[in-house]
Amino acid sequence: MKKKIIIGLSAFSLIFLLSSVYTIATIEHATTKMDNLIRLHQVEILREHLLIQIKRTQSDMYLKGTPYARSIDTIVNHMRTMGDIVTMCFSCHHAEPVARRLTDLKGKVEDYKINLSRALTMNANAKRLRAEEDHAFQVGTELIDEVENITQMANVKLEQKTQAASQEITRTKIMLYILVVAVPVAVIGLSILFIRGFTTPAHEILSATRQLKKGDLSYRIEGLKDEFGEVAASFNEMAESIKDDYLKMQWAEQLVVLGEMAGGLAHEIKNPLAGIKASMEVLTMDTTLTEENRDVLLKGVEQIKRIEVLLKALLNFARPPKPHFMPADVNSVLDVTIGLALRHPQFATKDSKTISVVKDYDERLPKTMADPQQLQQVFMNLLLNAADAMPDGGTISVQTSHDDSVRSLHIQIIDTGSGVDETVVDKIFQPFFTTKPQGTGLGLAITKRLIEQHGGSINVKNNHAKGVAFMITLPIRDREEVQTI
Amino acid sequence: MTKFAIVLYTCLILISGGFGCDTGKQAAPPRKAPEGQQLLIGLIPEQNLFRQMERYEPLARYLSQKTGMQIALKILPHYGNIIDNFVSGKIDGAFFGSFSYTLAHAKFGVQVIARPEDRDGKSTYHGLIFVRKDSGIKFIQHMAGKRFAFVDRATTAGYLLPLAYFKQHRVDYRSYLKEIYYTGTHEDAIYDVLNKKADIGAAKNTVYERLAETDSRIKGELVILERSPDVPENGLAVRQDLDEAVKRKLTEVLLNMQNDAEGRSVLETFGARKFIATSDADYQPVYRYEREIGLNLATYDYRNE
Repeated sequence: MKKKIIIGLSAFSLIFLLSSVYTIATIEHATTKMDNLIRLHQVEILREHLLIQIKRTQSDMYLKGTPYARSIDTIVNHMRTMGDIVTMCFSCHHAEPVARRLTDLKGKVEDYKINLSRALTMNANAKRLRAEEDHAFQVGTELIDEVENITQMANVKLEQKTQAASQEITRTKIMLYILVVAVPVAVIGLSILFIRGFTTPAHEILSATRQLKKGDLSYRIEGLKDEFGEVAASFNEMAESIKDDYLKMQWAEQLVVLGEMAGGLAHEIKNPLAGIKASMEVLTMDTTLTEENRDVLLKGVEQIKRIEVLLKALLNFARPPKPHFMPADVNSVLDVTIGLALRHPQFATKDSKTISVVKDYDERLPKTMADPQQLQQVFMNLLLNAADAMPDGGTISVQTSHDDSVRSLHIQIIDTGSGVDETVVDKIFQPFFTTKPQGTGLGLAITKRLIEQHGGSINVKNNHAKGVAFMITLPIRDREEVQTI
Repeated sequence: MTKFAIVLYTCLILISGGFGCDTGKQAAPPRKAPEGQQLLIGLIPEQNLFRQMERYEPLARYLSQKTGMQIALKILPHYGNIIDNFVSGKIDGAFFGSFSYTLAHAKFGVQVIARPEDRDGKSTYHGLIFVRKDSGIKFIQHMAGKRFAFVDRATTAGYLLPLAYFKQHRVDYRSYLKEIYYTGTHEDAIYDVLNKKADIGAAKNTVYERLAETDSRIKGELVILERSPDVPENGLAVRQDLDEAVKRKLTEVLLNMQNDAEGRSVLETFGARKFIATSDADYQPVYRYEREIGLNLATYDYRNE
């Protein structure tokens, strides 16, 4: 977003700068043209002025010796003004041919001045005087012709230059009009582009928020970039977290409801069932009973015992015993549990050569505050599950490790069994979910609940090769930390 | 002793000049001091009217700046017009030629205050009579029936010299020559002879030499037959009744021009090294020349024929 803002500002600045530079350059160009044109017209005026001065001086010559003759000061001033005008012409830059012609003109003006001076100062007989005056007048006439020629020639060029300047100014005006329209359009276009660049992601985030509000916890924002991408990622994390919390809450609520229901049910069933079982056991002792009926009664008693085990498990799940925390060495608890498990019928019924337990302990595993009895129950459950998953034998790896940076212990129990269907991995810790024909679906649920009572977590995943791995994480806690819970 | 002699000599000069001027002098019209410190200075057409103005304008600007007065120039088409302008009271002063000064001094008592000294330290000029080398004119005898270009009847070089020359040879130039006329400027007298518009000419040497610097034909094609005595270069003279403070200020500025950079630059353009103090006594050679010719300044008609 920052990058976009910088690019946007740069684009606007560039447009403003370019349009400003172009406008200034265009105006400068046009005014220079106008300036040149005005200067050319001024030169034209100058030429006309020069012509007037020469003609005025010629008239001075005509009037010389008449009652209307002008004063010598006036004549001299006329002549000097003429000289000044020609000198002014040299102040401008001219091409070589023009400069040469101007130099000639200046020479003629000087010549005219000399002859005029002679005619004004001379005292001679009428013939000589007339000859001098005629000569001066002739020089003046030639000068007028020369200036008129120059004026005529310059007028043609002036006309051409005026037309060219006029066209140039028209072009400049059109370009300025285009600029006046094009720049705002470009700015508006870019603004829309940039605003959309900001509003589209904002709308996407707003929409996602509304989806979340509606309860669609699976909604995720995709495809946003930059800072909006980061916001989207944070939103997705938040949604994931909300979903986790929601599932946990749902799980907790399920547990509470289930616990209350199971506890009540078990309590209500347990006592009548104990009475039925005692009555049936008494009946089995009746000597008049045929063997066939006794067997039926004994089978009934057996089923009642199974129900009692189930009820016990239900009560254990619904109202798990509060853990008695004490410093526990997890490696030792595992050793004891593995020892017991190896003597369990599920291991014993198999050929001991076909199921092996491989220990890979962290020798420096720190102790943590835990209830060894409950940990033993957890480990035993997982070991029996592993054994159950390997009817044809296999290897169970038991690994421990720890991470001081996050103060946690890790226990992994990995089997080489058939693994878990990926579609039910998420449900494996739900109560009453089981893939076994004889399972209660409470073993892993109880295991999870016990681990959570210790502040830890348990996860499952299929191995790359075969089998599953249960990963338990327990916090490393001391006595003070446990007492504050 | 030497100091005493100088003082005595100066007093004698002043007394004789003052008394001399009184003789036959016309009374100048009463003039008030220039209002708003404005001074109008006349210029004689020593050269082309326009070039003459261009030569004197920087000097006028400098004087205006230094004196605090507004000094304007007035170019005149004839030497004699200066005297006419003094008569009509139009001008306060003028750069006079040596002869025209003596005329004005004799008639109105104008007072000369300063004149330029050229780069070679000379503050005088002399008149020349010249002809074309190919004209065959070498002596007075060759001039009979020829055309003579004078400058003006109020010039030393352009008229007094030829007058003295013809008087010396006891010739009445009016009948001896085919045509005489007055070019009005020294420059035109020289060029008229050079361009064969006249056979003989008279002009001042300073103009002759200045033109020769840029036109090689002058020394190559002309030959000088006669020269006049040295007379003071054109100096600034002011009307007699001009405020003394103004005269003093003008004199002081002119005489000290060479002491500042701007003044030196103006002098350079003017073609002089400095201005030197000048009095009527410096014109003794002119007065002597006039006496030799037999001119009576009081009755002399300075207007061209």
